[in-house]
Amino acid sequence: MIQSTSLLESWTQENNQLASSCKQQDGQDAPNREHNLFRQRRWSSDFHKLLRKIQGIPPHLDRAQLELSVAYNTCVCFTAQSQFDEAELLLTQSAQRLLQIAGDDPGTSDPSVLWREALKSVTGAALRRDVLNLLCLQWGVWLAKSRLNAMQDFQEEMSLLEAQSGAVGNDCRAETKENIPNIPILVLDPRRLVDLLKICTTIVQGAERLTEGWSVLSALQAASASPAPRALIAYTHLLSGSCLAHMNRPQMALQCYRKALEADPRCVCALYQSALIYRRLENLQAEIQALRILHSILLLPSSTEPAMATGRLLSPSLFLCSQSLSSLLSVPSALSVLHSLALKCVIHGRVSEGVECYLDLLAALQSEDQHGVHAAVSTLPKLPRLYLEAGAALLMAQRPADCMALCDEVIGSTLDLLPDKVLLEDPGDGRVAGSREMTEEAENGLVRLLWTAVAYLLQGHCYSQLKDWKQAVTHYTRCINLLVKVHCKDTGFPLQTPCTDKDAEQGVDLCVLQRLKGLSLAGRGISFAQIDRLKESLRDLHLSQQAHPEGVSARRWYGEVLWRLDRKQEAAACWEQTWSHPIPSLSEALPVYAQELQSLPVLDSAKLQQKLQEPGPT
Amino acid sequence: MMEGRCAAEPWAEFGLLGKSGTPLVKCGTGTDVFICIGGEEVYVFTAPEKTLRAVLQMPAAVRDLAVSHDEQLLFVACWSGVYCVKVQLLVPSSSHDTGSGPTELKISTECLVAVADRVSSLLVVGSVLLTLCRTDSSWSLTLYQTQQASQSDPCDLLASFSLPLVSPSVQGDTESRCVLVCVYPGDVSPASSRLRPSLSHFPLQPLLFRLLFGAEAALSKSPVVLCGLPDGRLSFLPLRIPGSRLRILHSLEQPVVFIGASAVMEANAGCAGCLIALGKQGRAVLIGAGGAGSEGDGGARFTLGCVPGPVECACMDQSRVYYSTGSDLLTVDLWNSSSGTAGRQEGEEDEGSRSNPAALLTPVSLNVSGVTALHQPTCSSAGEVQLLSLSVRGRLQSIRLPVRTQEDGLSKRPSSQVGRSVGDILSAIGDVCERASALKTIIRSKNQILKELNQVMNISFLLSNRSEFDSKPVRCRGLVRWSSLLQRDSLNMTCVLENLSPFVLERGWTLSVTVRPLSCPLEAGGNASSVNYSFPFGGLGPGESVEVSLPVAAEGDASFPVTVTCSLLFSLWKFLGQEEAAAPLDSQRACFSLPLNTLTVDWLHALRLGDLPAPPRSSSNPADLIQGFISSRQLRCRGGGQASRPEEYSARVRVSSELLRDALGLTPGGPHVSLLEWLLSEGCGGVKAERKGIKTDGGSSVICGSAPNNAAVKLTAEEVNIEEKTEPLVTMEVQVKSSSVAAVCGLHHAVLHRIQTLLQKAGSSRTVPIADLRLALQQAEVERGQVWEASSVGVSSGQMQTLLLRVYQQLRDGPLLML
Repeated sequence: MIQSTSLLESWTQENNQLASSCKQQDGQDAPNREHNLFRQRRWSSDFHKLLRKIQGIPPHLDRAQLELSVAYNTCVCFTAQSQFDEAELLLTQSAQRLLQIAGDDPGTSDPSVLWREALKSVTGAALRRDVLNLLCLQWGVWLAKSRLNAMQDFQEEMSLLEAQSGAVGNDCRAETKENIPNIPILVLDPRRLVDLLKICTTIVQGAERLTEGWSVLSALQAASASPAPRALIAYTHLLSGSCLAHMNRPQMALQCYRKALEADPRCVCALYQSALIYRRLENLQAEIQALRILHSILLLPSSTEPAMATGRLLSPSLFLCSQSLSSLLSVPSALSVLHSLALKCVIHGRVSEGVECYLDLLAALQSEDQHGVHAAVSTLPKLPRLYLEAGAALLMAQRPADCMALCDEVIGSTLDLLPDKVLLEDPGDGRVAGSREMTEEAENGLVRLLWTAVAYLLQGHCYSQLKDWKQAVTHYTRCINLLVKVHCKDTGFPLQTPCTDKDAEQGVDLCVLQRLKGLSLAGRGISFAQIDRLKESLRDLHLSQQAHPEGVSARRWYGEVLWRLDRKQEAAACWEQTWSHPIPSLSEALPVYAQELQSLPVLDSAKLQQKLQEPGPT
Repeated sequence: MMEGRCAAEPWAEFGLLGKSGTPLVKCGTGTDVFICIGGEEVYVFTAPEKTLRAVLQMPAAVRDLAVSHDEQLLFVACWSGVYCVKVQLLVPSSSHDTGSGPTELKISTECLVAVADRVSSLLVVGSVLLTLCRTDSSWSLTLYQTQQASQSDPCDLLASFSLPLVSPSVQGDTESRCVLVCVYPGDVSPASSRLRPSLSHFPLQPLLFRLLFGAEAALSKSPVVLCGLPDGRLSFLPLRIPGSRLRILHSLEQPVVFIGASAVMEANAGCAGCLIALGKQGRAVLIGAGGAGSEGDGGARFTLGCVPGPVECACMDQSRVYYSTGSDLLTVDLWNSSSGTAGRQEGEEDEGSRSNPAALLTPVSLNVSGVTALHQPTCSSAGEVQLLSLSVRGRLQSIRLPVRTQEDGLSKRPSSQVGRSVGDILSAIGDVCERASALKTIIRSKNQILKELNQVMNISFLLSNRSEFDSKPVRCRGLVRWSSLLQRDSLNMTCVLENLSPFVLERGWTLSVTVRPLSCPLEAGGNASSVNYSFPFGGLGPGESVEVSLPVAAEGDASFPVTVTCSLLFSLWKFLGQEEAAAPLDSQRACFSLPLNTLTVDWLHALRLGDLPAPPRSSSNPADLIQGFISSRQLRCRGGGQASRPEEYSARVRVSSELLRDALGLTPGGPHVSLLEWLLSEGCGGVKAERKGIKTDGGSSVICGSAPNNAAVKLTAEEVNIEEKTEPLVTMEVQVKSSSVAAVCGLHHAVLHRIQTLLQKAGSSRTVPIADLRLALQQAEVERGQVWEASSVGVSSGQMQTLLLRVYQQLRDGPLLML
């Protein structure tokens, strides 16, 4: 017995030394992350060693408090390193040993049953407090592993825990202040742990239910009033906002996002969600503004890791790893944001802004410091497409020389890789699994071919903008020559329909292909018209209308050429059709370069009408 | 081709290589070379002064080294993570301690910049540090942003890419290192490229770059990281493309040892037009741009080649690959090689190399052995190529290759160079000598093997060319004896293999002995079960013999006679050892068998004399006496009960005394005793029975014993005078008596067999009397008629048995006289 007490004392001493050094060092800032990791590994192995020593002898009531405290410390260290399985194993062992003291046969290793039994078996207040502390850690492990069902089973005990936590915390603190040597010290105040777990649980549960379509507003709003780290408060506001957005209350959602930002300025996700809401509300100004701010915040170095200062040992992010939450919190990379900003500007007529954004984007991609380039999943389009979009924007901004330089780069990098011929399988049939590889290869060829063709088309546009019609004809011809290399196996297949077939990538490509044919033929026709080769012009414009019947400028120019050929009746009929169709504004459904840019010489409908009326009376 | 001699100059000795790490020689900053010999130390060696400048003591075995581009930081990969050391620390603070020996630095975990388990390779591209690690299920390439400011700051993790393992079971893979190199398009403007062309950074011809890595990589002018994995895959990752992932370029199907780029014969100098990857077993792939427009999609051209392996390490200069097989250093000229695989010829030759995918590149030997690590070659202005190598024994040596130009033949050297060249030649001689001695031992062992195989051939010829009856020059004798082990008696045979041939039976031979009863009891199903014993032995010279011992039968086992078939087995596997014989031979052909003679152990051999199962009269124990009495009573009672059946069976054999006398040289005094002695001790059928001395009943001609089935038997020999055609004839009659039919039959058979062989030996001069023979035949005919009658009438099985028994008795009782 004497030996036992002395052992007890020495173990308590060892634990207290470890715990106080741990607390002390945790207070200091570690010089780097790796050091922190090393330190935590050392602590956990030290505590674990001590625990194994203690558990080497049969459990006894006298030593129960020490054992439970050491188990608590070890588990906290394990949890801090995300070693949840090891922590859970220790917790189960501790509960089993506790039951052995009471003389019950555990019989099972199901944690929920074990903990109920353990709580029942414990009588003393101090011991009960220790058991509750361990249960609290079990709660944390469940939360980290997203086992919300297990947590729901323990709803009562949790509330018990919450109720006791205040009193317990005070108690504990008083004791540690007195520094009685035979009371084992804990590395982390259990009350703080309970507070942390409570709000994290609310957040995780909120995210889960939100994805399931439930409304969790009240719980979230209650949690947002609780004392917690600001980042977590921001999350509660954010989730409330998402909830409101689901309930079709965009303005209130915006309010919540604003609150989230106020609580934690680094909550970029709130900003992103606001941008999405603005997009839904079609508030262009605000959306662009939000994207702009989002981009600049994302460029700050520490934006991706929100600092969660409180509770250094256990960071809240340990417990917030549920899948639905992370999908709610995900924010696209800075480059993606920049790209959508640029595209938005260009499409909505803020061309010069858009051009600046595109140039920034290209510069960022070329630069050597690669922030955010290595995102696992990139929503950015392929690089050549970015170049071409930027080129189109430059063209719209009346900077043909820059556009041509960009196109030259694209042509230079793809020209060697072009296939002689692209044969497309009939997309109407379901694709045969065996020929999948072939299709992929062909698609790749098709994509490269389209890139090059677009580059030539844009160059043609540039030259026509510069009124160098001969060069324009040359480049349009190159584009057309490339485009006719694509053959479709099934000749009966109407090429226009894939436009509606949104789910097939190839469908979009085919649609782009048809439009490019139409645009390049139209461009060449117009250029021919400018140098008075009216026959060729008429042929090209006619073909252009066949390839892309929606092309308005081609149709107007077709009328114009007819007019010049003195086929005024036909010209009038042709023009009549276009009155009702203005040139459509740009849309986001298709790449910018595959749409009718305002760069070609435009025939004003008013002038045409005037022309019609002039000869009428005569 | 390689006219001049290559000179190896030892620079320093570092001791034997460690096993845990990877031996490395890497170019360092300026003229420094970093050397790792497989342990925890990294040595810093200055090339011009040929001195060791510093030693870094790492916390764990070193796997790889890399130097940052500004040459300020040295990254060292150990098993547990990557450590960063400032190069400045390695430079002695002032010049005075150049004489005081190398600086020693102990690197602690303070310098850890990236924690990663099982780091296999390192690469620095710009400010990005790449590590390749093997996890349980995948290879993962991790990118870190290095901190230029201070060494102790950890690197920020940028991204991680993984490639699943092909076969997780391959354990040996963990040991072999991966290869990480970086290639970038050659037209990158110099402002943006701070990449120094070095061992693991190559500018690539833009066309080839585009063909291999696609338009996107070309457009972003992104450096591309190439990984050669131990499973043979070559994968690549463009660094600057958003959302790029590791993709497979090619698979060598053997561990990739080296990836290099060849730069020669390109218009735009400094750009490599051909990538080469070497596999561990010597497979090589050359990747070049296909002929312009020759193929439809103008893809890159992969030419497969092959060099004699194994490839331990390799390096290359502009056009030549240098590689070490461990025993020799070889060089392959990629462009002037006779097979011309890497050439840009179109047409037939191109077709030829494609149809024959494993075109052999012809290497030229440089006669340097034991190289385990190579440093990138440096080429002096005179065209002299210098290689730094680390040998298996931990020797750092500089290997200078002769100048490649043809016109250096007669250039006169200054006297200072002569001395050096003599040293070079001496060390080259040392290297050649080392290789020669290794080759000599191999030749010696091959010769030995050939000699032994010759002996084997001779012996097999001797043994397989004899007919059945010739006595073979290698044969077995047997000696049987009863022995008792664990209260169980068994008949053991000592089989003696004698080598009477003039050849030696070397290792690889096995004596195989099969013990098989000639017949067996009906209840066993009629199938005699055989037992096989094999005894490998090594080395049996002419006239020598080897003894082996094996059990033939146990007590109570009556399945005699037993044939013991001996044969010699020869196994090439045992002869050559597993590793040499395993490949070319299957198990069937690697082993053959030569039959030797067959021994027969019969009832007479197995007869135990003297100790009757019935208690002897001399026994004084009253209990025994009573027991004996009772048992004899019972026997008699039973005998009385079955009066119709005789109590004992007997069989007789008669031989003329004259014959015996002539054949055996028996003394006339007691021929009967001698006959019995002869019968019991004669080595018949190659087997002798070991007896301690035959005790006959006080000079009488009766021997009592017990058969192996524990039946008591009595052998009697007496002289009988019979009338043969009015001529009195003295004959010897041997009578076998026992209550067991089996014992009587067996012994009778054994006695007859012996006398038969005796007669055969005595020669054919003697004749068996015709009349007697006719009489015997007549009697046999009569008996046969009786049996035939009985079987045709259809008597019951019991009656049939008795009938057969009677006929047998009669045949045995009317003994044929042998003259």
